Amino acid sequence: MINLPFKRQTKRIIFFTVMCTVLSSCVQPSVFKAEDYALIKSNYPIVVINGIDIEDTYKLDLEAGENSLVVVYNTYQYDYFCTFSWIAKAGTAYEITDQENNHPLTLFRWHRKNGLLTTRLDPVNPLECTQKPR
Amino acid sequence: MADYESKEAVTICCRPLHQFLATAEYEYHELVAFRVTAVIFLYVMKSILHIISLSTVLLSTLSINSNVIAQNGSPLTGLSALSESDIQSSAIAFVNTTSSPGLEGATLEVDDTQRESDQWRSSLGFTAEVTLKDHIFNAYWGLGLVTGSLHDRIQLTADTGEPVRLDMTRDVTSLRGSLGLIFPVNQHFKLRSVLTLAVSDLQTNSIVDGILDSNNNPTIQTFDNSAQLASTAGSLDALYWHWFDNYKLELSAHYNVIYTDSFSEDNPILDTHAWDSTAQLKSRFSGPTSLTTKARPWRWLVYANHSNFITQEKTALGYTGLFEIGTGLEWQLNVKPLDWFGWQYIGFSVGVITSRNVDGINVGITAR
Repeated sequence: MINLPFKRQTKRIIFFTVMCTVLSSCVQPSVFKAEDYALIKSNYPIVVINGIDIEDTYKLDLEAGENSLVVVYNTYQYDYFCTFSWIAKAGTAYEITDQENNHPLTLFRWHRKNGLLTTRLDPVNPLECTQKPR
Repeated sequence: MADYESKEAVTICCRPLHQFLATAEYEYHELVAFRVTAVIFLYVMKSILHIISLSTVLLSTLSINSNVIAQNGSPLTGLSALSESDIQSSAIAFVNTTSSPGLEGATLEVDDTQRESDQWRSSLGFTAEVTLKDHIFNAYWGLGLVTGSLHDRIQLTADTGEPVRLDMTRDVTSLRGSLGLIFPVNQHFKLRSVLTLAVSDLQTNSIVDGILDSNNNPTIQTFDNSAQLASTAGSLDALYWHWFDNYKLELSAHYNVIYTDSFSEDNPILDTHAWDSTAQLKSRFSGPTSLTTKARPWRWLVYANHSNFITQEKTALGYTGLFEIGTGLEWQLNVKPLDWFGWQYIGFSVGVITSRNVDGINVGITAR
């Protein structure tokens, strides 16, 4: 234990308390549209939902049940249109991101573990990714 | 040697040794105070490190030579072949081989005819890619704390023929931050350009054994000095990966151009700057295992890396390139701290490093 003057110890405790408070507010719980809705966030634009073309969006409220999405992974050589189909559970958040996996994009269940940490669970690969030259 | 004939060099060279030592010690204390301030400011640097630079040793050698000149009254050769440029490149090479982007932890041993040295480096850092919506390119950032040490033992022959042993210990602590852009070319290939800024604190302790005093008796002299270095590195990386079922092949090439500005209050030779370049080729192959922890899988990996310190003179540290081969295990934890950046794997690896006259190992924890 380092023997510090009281004032310095107090400042240090206050500093760490403030830091912990600020950091623990980083991960906010997901807010759902209604009880029977799920939420999906994507790092890449969602362009089709359940067969219907939509304007590019990165966040969607989905009705629980089977859903289908097309998300575009853009590169300088090709655009990859990846189709996901899965059963969304009510009150559950999902996330689509790239992780240099076998497919350009992967769908995860997003889980808030605590105020500092989220986890990505239950990875789902796209049914297919269609490659189109830019 | 021409460099010794400059007015400043002669002044240092001909300063009586005890005066030189007294000055060096006084300035050393001032710099310790400076370092403490820097440590508090950066918060992560908790201890004061002892720095040794080749320059100190060589300055002491110059002092020795000047004394010998005074005694013998004849021109000297041998040790005086060492130039200011050698001193500068040696110090900067040590910093670059410790803190250049892309280098990982290592313990190295150089065993040459006239030289034996032990060097280690260790780093704690993190890099992450941030998706920029509505743009094809993404952002890249990283922070790292790097420490390293070198114990160099060089056997030389003084200009008058007697053996002189230089025993140096150099320590460096660097804090670096990186910002860059990533350009995905297709689903298997990315280009990355990164700018890295680093500040380093270098301390040197030198022991010169074999100096002859005015009565021709061998003596042992000790010197301490320090320098602070600011480095700017521009990096261009090419990254390729391909999956074969559950097996992943990763290949990458890295090129760094590094500008280093060095400041020293107690060693004017280290008030200098330099341009250097390094290159690396990395390969890695990983596959699944039957192991799981908390329903998360473990993967095995093997890797081979080559590092080439392109502009580095071999005399600086005894090597200009390293080859490393190793293996390890990674656990796919797949978390997202602060809901901001993804952290896919944590693991450990063991590697063997080799090159001409160099052997080493790399045992460490990996996170990516």
